[in-house]
Amino acid sequence: MTVHSDLFINRELSWLEFNQRVLDEAAETGHPLLERLKFLAITASNLDEFFMVRVGGLQLLAREGHRGKDASGLSAAEQLGMIDHRVRKMVEDQYACFHDDLEPALAAAGLQRVRADTLDPVQEQVLEQIVEGEIYSVLTPMAITADQDCPLLIGGSLCLSVRLSDTADGTPRFAWIPCGRTCPRILTLPSEGGYAFMLLEDVIAVSLSRFFPGEEVLECVPFRITRNADLSIREDAAADLLEGMQQILDARKASHCVRLELADEADPLTREFLQDLFDVADEDVYPIPGPLDLTGFFALTDLPGFDELKDAPWPPVASPAVDPRISLFDVLAETNVLLCHPFESFDPVVRFVEEAAVDPDVIAIKQTLYRTSRDSPIVKALARASELGKHVTAIVELKARFDEARNIEWARRLEQAGVQVIYGVRGLKTHAKICIVVRREPGGIRRYMHFGTGNYNETTARLYTDISYLTSDEELGADASSFFNTITGYSQPQKFQHLEAAPIGMRERLLELIESETRRKRQGQSARILAKMNSLVDPKLIRALYEAGQAGVEIRLNVRGICCLRPGVEGLSENISVTSIIDRFLEHSRVFHFHQGGNGRTFIASADWMPRNLDRRVELMVPINDRAAAQRLVEMLSICLADDVKGRSLRGDGGYIPPPLQPVATGNGTTDTRGSGGRSQRLLYDEACEALRRQEESHRTVFVPHRAPGHESTEA
Amino acid sequence: MSDRTASVHESHRPTQASPTTRPVAVVDVGSSSIRMAIAEISGDGSVRPLETLTRDVDLGRDTFTRGRIRRATTEGCVEVLRSYRQLLTEYGITRPDQVRVVATSAVREATNRLSFLDRVFVATGLEIEAIDEAEVNRVTYLGVQPLIEHEESLSAAQSIVTEVGGGSTEILLVHQGNVIYSQTYKLGSQRLRESLQAFQAPQGSVTELMRSQVRRTMDLVRRNVPWETPIEVVALGGDIRFAASQLVPDWTPDKLACLDVEQLAAFSDSILERSIDDLVGEYHISYPDAGTLGPALLSYVELARTFDRDRLFVCSVNLRDGLLMEMAASDTWNEDFARQVTRSALDLGRRYQFDEPHAVHVADLARRLFEQLTDEHQLEPRHGMLLHASALLHEIGAIVSASNLHKHSMYLIRSSDLFGLTRDDMLLVALVARYHRGASPKPTHRGYVQLDREQRIAVAKLAGLLRVATALDESRSQRVTDFTCHKAEGKLVISVPGVEDLSLEQLALNRNGLLFEQIFGTPVLLRQANPPEPVR
Repeated sequence: MTVHSDLFINRELSWLEFNQRVLDEAAETGHPLLERLKFLAITASNLDEFFMVRVGGLQLLAREGHRGKDASGLSAAEQLGMIDHRVRKMVEDQYACFHDDLEPALAAAGLQRVRADTLDPVQEQVLEQIVEGEIYSVLTPMAITADQDCPLLIGGSLCLSVRLSDTADGTPRFAWIPCGRTCPRILTLPSEGGYAFMLLEDVIAVSLSRFFPGEEVLECVPFRITRNADLSIREDAAADLLEGMQQILDARKASHCVRLELADEADPLTREFLQDLFDVADEDVYPIPGPLDLTGFFALTDLPGFDELKDAPWPPVASPAVDPRISLFDVLAETNVLLCHPFESFDPVVRFVEEAAVDPDVIAIKQTLYRTSRDSPIVKALARASELGKHVTAIVELKARFDEARNIEWARRLEQAGVQVIYGVRGLKTHAKICIVVRREPGGIRRYMHFGTGNYNETTARLYTDISYLTSDEELGADASSFFNTITGYSQPQKFQHLEAAPIGMRERLLELIESETRRKRQGQSARILAKMNSLVDPKLIRALYEAGQAGVEIRLNVRGICCLRPGVEGLSENISVTSIIDRFLEHSRVFHFHQGGNGRTFIASADWMPRNLDRRVELMVPINDRAAAQRLVEMLSICLADDVKGRSLRGDGGYIPPPLQPVATGNGTTDTRGSGGRSQRLLYDEACEALRRQEESHRTVFVPHRAPGHESTEA
Repeated sequence: MSDRTASVHESHRPTQASPTTRPVAVVDVGSSSIRMAIAEISGDGSVRPLETLTRDVDLGRDTFTRGRIRRATTEGCVEVLRSYRQLLTEYGITRPDQVRVVATSAVREATNRLSFLDRVFVATGLEIEAIDEAEVNRVTYLGVQPLIEHEESLSAAQSIVTEVGGGSTEILLVHQGNVIYSQTYKLGSQRLRESLQAFQAPQGSVTELMRSQVRRTMDLVRRNVPWETPIEVVALGGDIRFAASQLVPDWTPDKLACLDVEQLAAFSDSILERSIDDLVGEYHISYPDAGTLGPALLSYVELARTFDRDRLFVCSVNLRDGLLMEMAASDTWNEDFARQVTRSALDLGRRYQFDEPHAVHVADLARRLFEQLTDEHQLEPRHGMLLHASALLHEIGAIVSASNLHKHSMYLIRSSDLFGLTRDDMLLVALVARYHRGASPKPTHRGYVQLDREQRIAVAKLAGLLRVATALDESRSQRVTDFTCHKAEGKLVISVPGVEDLSLEQLALNRNGLLFEQIFGTPVLLRQANPPEPVR
């Protein structure tokens, strides 16, 4: 494929722009303070992951002198240069936001960061107890010399570099205190009013004499390294660029130090020492003008109380489509159920598995599990089902990034309960979200399915926008069985009637749907594509979209994260618009709608339009053939596309235009409806509440049911 | 949450699985894959598919190149069947009458067939039936028949129904619901590919070599098939289904697809030009499928051209559909099927210029005897059909020589195909014809010796009945048309109404009835019935 650099936005830069949009939310004065702090912490956490999974791979390529170019026409070295430039500016903005804005505002609101020089006597006393009881016994200083092997330091964790007085021959002496993961980053101190806290590194710094009795401490500065993500889990890493270069990825290099963050006041001597030790180039050192690792501030945002500094909660509401008094199987025998999370509760999905577990007529349950919560009720239900003699199959994806340890733990628990656990598909990550319940009924075998865009995780289902579709459609059921037979290895892939799966046909199907719009437009029909996803990277699909746009197809995309498509470019993409929403919930659903000459087809999917998803993952795209459900999805898409409060428009050059009207702060969070389109998440939540209210009202005119206690708002 | 769901189910009692639906499964061990279909049969005999599975195996490559199945391949098959079994357990399909496992040419032709079948049985508990071509044809026809009947353009014309398999090609000629001709040819997509590879044919000429090999077979087909115009071609099989799904995107498998032969030829050429890797990448099909696709499509194209057709119908039905329908049909030897066998036997008889009125009459008499003496012979209905076929063909040996004609009949029948009858069935038919006169069966007789006890008894009983039937038309004038049987004084009395003098028939019986007496323990006596008793 020839590379047309002007056709694609570089994916790394596009990702950085996404992080910038999150950072913009942190700077947004209309938000409550702790929400802003949370957005800031998210940007830090995002950047960490970015360095681990993307930058590391690019560095390897650049060091090997790899000259290959990505779709946007940039070599690895060029990309690194641009990333470096962009990230430094971003770090600057992060700390400007923190120092100039958040920290003073937090202090004013009663959240006081205490430093060594501002400790009052009471605090000093308590601090001593804390150090004695919880810190000194846990942390172990280690002496470090330049000639020793690079000590094993956990990537991402904070470490203090302590410089002790030089040796007799004038060589500097260094010791480290790795902070590990056991000590909390934020330590609570007594306070006369409000909340006082001290950062762990500050606490250690005032207690150095305990760690190094009798030593003269010349300097104590925090630093932190980021390692390249372990190969086994770096499915998202630069593997797309690294094809054919596996030999350079030996384990040692694979976990090389990608980035060194160091307090900006550190002595050049310290910096030089660390750089040598970790083999870090100048351009990979980031002097940090403030507390390192801002992700530590997540702890503060969860602080009990201080509700006025947080968003008013929008607890998920029950879906009117699911009557809690009726068995879900009875509900689904009659109708299909579409749920929009987190506006609507995830409970029915959990209940689906829980009911199946104890239902005497259920003979088998099969489910994919990608990332799930600790103590997941779904995992428990699967184990229970197996103990009750049902055939339970769980496709567990151990490669889910950074979650392996947790996954192994509950996978083992499932195995002990007799569940047939299948650890994914070789070479592919199983990302599809599907659960099928096989039930023996008087009319014969009947299959009930849940298809989703998000994980089977009731915790993230309160934070991510996702779609659930529950149905007992016969043909989808046959497809679902077929899908499971394929990923469990019982059968080779066969043609589905309705489903599409990656990596065996989803891209082709999408291309077909896009090209069909193109053809229709050329033949004079009206043609439109509405799509919502997290990332749009796949060059083939982007080219097809350009072509469709050139044919006159109206294309409106809602892409939360990376978008390599350049919209609004004359002669290329005037008919394509892209918006991106960053709001209180993480936009996560993938919904596609193709006009098809008025006979529209609507799909939900587990996959983004990225080569990663379409080629290296097992994904599902599910047509929503239920008219009402499809209609609802199209309405949801329209609301998201019209968001002019939290939606930003992508420009052809890769930058984003902020929404024309900023929301204004009020006493109770933000108001949202100044734009003509409105704030989509608010509108969708209001809609969910309204639907439930209407339904309860209509019930009330008949009778008032007594519900199981706590049901009305299990989510509050 | 769990409390709530528990309360939901307090009043929820298990519903008994309805006795009107039963889950069943069929497994087809083919030359390049093992496929399974799980379905539910409801009380009215309708079949509802639940799941279909397919896994690639190397059976065809082994058998068609080395003649035997390698150990590794056997273990591969065991592994596949074990995993299938697991799924069957989920559906509660555990009893032998719920699952039928058949194997086709790749297993049937392997020299170590028996050790393969034993190994699979020991490892999985599944009993594989290695079925022959006739059985495959019969079963597939069961599945195809309803679709053909519904297609208007096929109802008037003759149809060649064909499936190019991995190891063989089935050809059926069907007209107005009747199977006129059926034959299996040793032309298979995988056999083609393997044989060319075995001969190390140069890559460039492979397609042309294939084409000429296919054409040779097709010439044979054209000569053998008793076809007339108008004629249509109906193609079955995974390869042609794939082509149809590519060429007719909106094809729904519950109907026949109609392909343009030139378009199919172009598609087939484009497939043959490309590497297997290419095909796997582009179409997301398995390697074995990609390997057989080109040769199979080429064969279909050549077949259509052989019969000067510019279109070809594709039917999505497969062997497994037929097997399921057979399981669903309460009496698998149903009337329509019996009709096909009769039709086929008559064709064969005519080819040997038999005395048709006599043969048909004897067959009819034999059928009546079989029906009236159910309590005596205790045989299954399908034996009645075999007897009918024997009766139709018992004298075809006359074309060779009048002396020992029963022996000539036997080998002529043994070396012929009757639609729907297996090799085993054909042996029974041949033996019954052989014993319609002359010596009684003896353990030394060829063919008879290889039967098991149950089959030997069946042959003796059927031959005994056939002897009575031939005696009843000893006059060759078809004057005995009606009779009733009853037992009296230790004899079987056959009362014949409306015939004055039965001495000719009685003489024949005395000469020929010994076998009947030996096997049923009673002599047969003919008696005039006056007044005639009502027809049964």
